Amino acid sequence: MEAEEAEPAPGFAWLIGAVAWFIPGVGHLLQQKWWRAALMGGAVWICFFVGLGMGGHLFDLWYEGSLSLLRVPPMIADIGTGAPYFVAWLLDYNFKEDPVQAARTTYEYGTAFLWIAGLLNYLTMLDAFDIAAGRKP
Amino acid sequence: MTLFAALASVVFGAMAKDTNQERLLYGLKVFAEFMVIGLVLGWILYFIP
Repeated sequence: MEAEEAEPAPGFAWLIGAVAWFIPGVGHLLQQKWWRAALMGGAVWICFFVGLGMGGHLFDLWYEGSLSLLRVPPMIADIGTGAPYFVAWLLDYNFKEDPVQAARTTYEYGTAFLWIAGLLNYLTMLDAFDIAAGRKP
Repeated sequence: MTLFAALASVVFGAMAKDTNQERLLYGLKVFAEFMVIGLVLGWILYFIP
């Protein structure tokens, strides 16, 4: 039995995917999927701000002035939120290795929430991409 | 944990299945699974020093 060949996705779908990653929920908004945008994008934004409010830590590649490969997996999770991550990075918000912040009881929960926000946004992005490519209603 | 389970199950539910009823049921099922597994793991870890 031959495997069914998937049709190549149109350029529009890739653009929607990129926008959906960069601003959570907008990929669905552009396709007039209002409820999906509200539910999925809303969940990502809530997760992100709850994580920040809990004092969670955002990861980049640099630790004490040198490159650290161990920081790649959490950074990939964090960067999934797109623009909010880059805004926080530009403002240097919650990126510092601060022992006072790390001593907060909600620090670990907040960090996990920030990871989850990014990972959920990857799923949201794939959903928006599939809809734009005509693979989903 | 409850907030995490709710947010994750909303996304999982919205992505999966074909009809709204199936999505709602799937989201509720995922939420229940997150909660039950989280509580069970919590109690198991409570007894491990």
